Amino acid sequence: MSEMTNKLNTIDFDERAKKILAQEPILSARDVEVTFSLRGKKLVAIRRTSLDLYEGETLAIVGESGSGKSVFTKCFVGMLDKNGSITNGSIMYEGEDLTKFTEKDWLRIRGKKIAMVTQDPMTSLNPLKTIGYQIQESVELHQGLKGKAAREEVYRILNAVGIPDPERRYKQYPHEFSGGMRQRVVIAIAVACRPQILICDEPTTALDVTIQAQILDLIRRLQKEQNMTIIYITHDLGVVANVADRVAVMYGGQIIEIGMANEVFFDPQHPYTWALLSALPQLGVKGEKLPAIDGTPPSLFNKIQGDAFAPRNKHALNIDFLEEPPMYEVTGTHTVKSWLRDHRAPKVEQPDSISRLSEISLKSNGTDPNAYHPHLDPNRETLIEVKNMQVTFGTGRKKFVAVDDVNFKIYKGETFSLVGESGSGKTTIGRAIVRINPITSGEVLFKGERISGKISREMDTKVIRSMQMIFQDPMASLNERAKVDYIVSEGLINYHLYKDEHDRQDKVQQALQEVGLLSEFSSRFPHEFSGGQRQRIGIARSLIMEPEFIVADEPISALDVSIRAQVLNLLNDLKKSRGLTYLFIAHDLSVVRFISDRIAVIHKGRIVELAEAEELFAHPLHPYTKALLSAVPNPNPYIERSKKLLVYDPSVHHYDKEGPKWVEILPDHFVYGNSEEMDGYRKEIGL
Amino acid sequence: MDTQEKKTVQEAEAPVVNMTVNPDKVDTDPNRERPRGREYPKSRSQMPEDQLFEFAEYNAMAAEKIGYSNYSYWRSVWANFLKKKPAVIMSIMFLLLFIFTFVASAIGKYDIHMAPDPINRMYITPNSEYWFGTNAIGQDYWAQVWYATRASILLAVLVSLGQISLGVVIGLIWGYVRKLDRFFTELYNLIDNVPTIIYMTLIALMVGKTMLTMGIAMVAFGWLATARNVRNLVFMYRDREYNLASRCLGTRLGRILYRNIFPYLVSVIILRLALAIPTTIAYEVTLTYLGLMDIMVPSLGNLLSAARAVFPRATFTLWFPAAIVSIITITFYLVGNAFSDACDPRNHV
Repeated sequence: MSEMTNKLNTIDFDERAKKILAQEPILSARDVEVTFSLRGKKLVAIRRTSLDLYEGETLAIVGESGSGKSVFTKCFVGMLDKNGSITNGSIMYEGEDLTKFTEKDWLRIRGKKIAMVTQDPMTSLNPLKTIGYQIQESVELHQGLKGKAAREEVYRILNAVGIPDPERRYKQYPHEFSGGMRQRVVIAIAVACRPQILICDEPTTALDVTIQAQILDLIRRLQKEQNMTIIYITHDLGVVANVADRVAVMYGGQIIEIGMANEVFFDPQHPYTWALLSALPQLGVKGEKLPAIDGTPPSLFNKIQGDAFAPRNKHALNIDFLEEPPMYEVTGTHTVKSWLRDHRAPKVEQPDSISRLSEISLKSNGTDPNAYHPHLDPNRETLIEVKNMQVTFGTGRKKFVAVDDVNFKIYKGETFSLVGESGSGKTTIGRAIVRINPITSGEVLFKGERISGKISREMDTKVIRSMQMIFQDPMASLNERAKVDYIVSEGLINYHLYKDEHDRQDKVQQALQEVGLLSEFSSRFPHEFSGGQRQRIGIARSLIMEPEFIVADEPISALDVSIRAQVLNLLNDLKKSRGLTYLFIAHDLSVVRFISDRIAVIHKGRIVELAEAEELFAHPLHPYTKALLSAVPNPNPYIERSKKLLVYDPSVHHYDKEGPKWVEILPDHFVYGNSEEMDGYRKEIGL
Repeated sequence: MDTQEKKTVQEAEAPVVNMTVNPDKVDTDPNRERPRGREYPKSRSQMPEDQLFEFAEYNAMAAEKIGYSNYSYWRSVWANFLKKKPAVIMSIMFLLLFIFTFVASAIGKYDIHMAPDPINRMYITPNSEYWFGTNAIGQDYWAQVWYATRASILLAVLVSLGQISLGVVIGLIWGYVRKLDRFFTELYNLIDNVPTIIYMTLIALMVGKTMLTMGIAMVAFGWLATARNVRNLVFMYRDREYNLASRCLGTRLGRILYRNIFPYLVSVIILRLALAIPTTIAYEVTLTYLGLMDIMVPSLGNLLSAARAVFPRATFTLWFPAAIVSIITITFYLVGNAFSDACDPRNHV
């Protein structure tokens, strides 16, 4: 570990480890096996895994979708789906075995001693009842308070979870709360009866980064105040670094590595943990390939023999395919389930990028010095130009301005990113450029020709052939009732871009191979593929039109961590081999930094700052950009826990006296503000 | 972690069999091209102990293997449908009945055009000569009933097909093309707010009562419910990303409707078709009863209304067509319900 990280150290993991080793676990799961019956088949979702939970700790469980992390913890509150059951093992809590509980027994434990917060705050609140009523219900049921006393307790709880003005908020309904506030309410209900264990199942996945950081702070504060034990389920390693004392990594229904956060992050032992960490874009070198994990996560429909990760593991041993590895102890708190720890196994070095983890911070990131930056080229060619774009939805009184006065240019060969929170209008801009949404005023130019509004038929065909889009949700963006063959060749069929049937099939096969899929996949239906494979089918569908420009709308945000790197690499490879230009729309700044040449930050329909990627990270000027950057999760636990969170308050702007303008403050660095602010910004960068 | 620690100890105590690792076989270069398609042994005994801890060959195909179930929606629908025994038995019965309507006239002793002789043969009760007896004008009722059954079923099937096809086409356009939503909604309100029976009466009186005219009239006013149902379903799929993708690829409206939306509605359409057939038969009976259908061609409605007119005399003339109408109606309701259950993915567990 470098000196810098030691200085930043705000948490002593060794001390916590000692504390944990001295304790008896408060909850202890042994060899738990959970089986689901689905369409007459038995699916084993949890394959005999064990876990100890200690008082006052925060345990993060990391894993991809289907790894069983949610199912495993649902056993602790007796909330398995109807077709699932615990078929082996025991879960001991306060001298009782939770696996033997009846629904009546659960009433004593669930909510009172072990509570749960789920991902979507909208579905866990009743939209027809006031917030106050819903919290009071929990208070009256679990704490036995009545009437005024209960109401006072509700005010106290609302205050505690950081909801200002509780008397007024008490009478409001869920729809009057923002997403972050709603999640605070859900947390308020969960902690209302002071549970001993709180299970948080991806509580911030649906929230924006700035809100996420606030919720994480809240959970940590409540934990300290009430001395709760927290199980935090997530797929985001940045969040893990923020909250966790201990980390458990799950794969294929088992915990494959568990240890203190510093042990798992800086000295991981399982090849899957290595791969997971190396695939983080924060650890990648810009312009180079990210070390991706090939293939797809195991499916529960197939029987797993040996180590579940073996088929995707390039360091797999023969025995990995034959027998399940036992748990090997690395330290007192760190155990790993991998044959590589066996004394008979050959030594395999951890990948280099793991060591980079201890060095990274927001200020430094590896960059390929030989990389070509199209926007710095004096002969650069403007591919897309957006002038004064405004997009409104609805009419009359319900009119809503989604995008206002947006100006930017995208040069040929670059990756231009739009970053913003949900509802900021970034997707609307992307869709307006490919003409799915009409624009209200302003214009869009493609190679100097206007493509917005009414255009000729030939121009329309030309634009469709040269501009394509990649969508966010690989589940929704493919037609489930059509074969891959049709999906991929849809564009070809529309414009008869093939000589004969044979030629069409050849082109489909080529497109599939180009995105790394087997050509035999063309006769299958989309539901047979995993998320990453489906996203690649979507990319093949766009590529077959041989476009010059692609709008990629959050192409990796719905994908599992191990799959993201595959898709990012593919996009970068295609950029090189085909000379593509991208408009990359995302909310995750670490991904954006890795992939983009230039970044535009958008807030409430306006671009507030636009600069070269590294320049933006080095000298953010607009207060919103600063707030956004400060909230980005960092996978280094020491840095993540010591970061200072900035909150953006729009009232810092005084636009009543003088309106803001779009100003190029440095070459290629634009910022939105009035002249007074510009003076401040100039001072900041030392001009 | 009791059991797992034990396991570790066992492993440690296991005799170390020739643990020398062949340095040539250790693969340290992650970028090396690895041979593909190798089959792995299935159990430990198939591999010599000394090879257990050597690196395995990396098989890219195995990593990319699709682990997803070979679940097929329509296969599950079919399998679930076959589990509903009453529906299956009734549909077989109906099919036999329909085939029999073609055979019946051949095995019957008299044909449908038998010369009337009301004086000698009126309302003869069923016997070995006249299997179903005779009607008011002395014609063989067997021939009458089966001819009417065939005519009614054909009318019902054709009218239902017409109604559903028209309804689906209009519903698809109504739901998908935002600009036309207003137009179709007003058209729907205009037609729907006047009881259909009034339109039917007007058409019957002004245009004619032939089966063809009335069939067309039934189609012309019968698409409404289907169209509205389809329109509401289209809303669910209209803004899905795969439709946006199709628009980005320049796919034309007709193809989007046919390839992207229609396949999702097939189960609903089949269900509506199944339920439309008994409804149409019942409707035909009603129209005949109201005197809005041509009584020259025998149909189940004709027979029933004629039989009811003389009830309780010659009750057998009522029982035969009533039994057949019941069989058809019950069959299609059972089939419709069984099918809608079978189509629900929640029942595919």
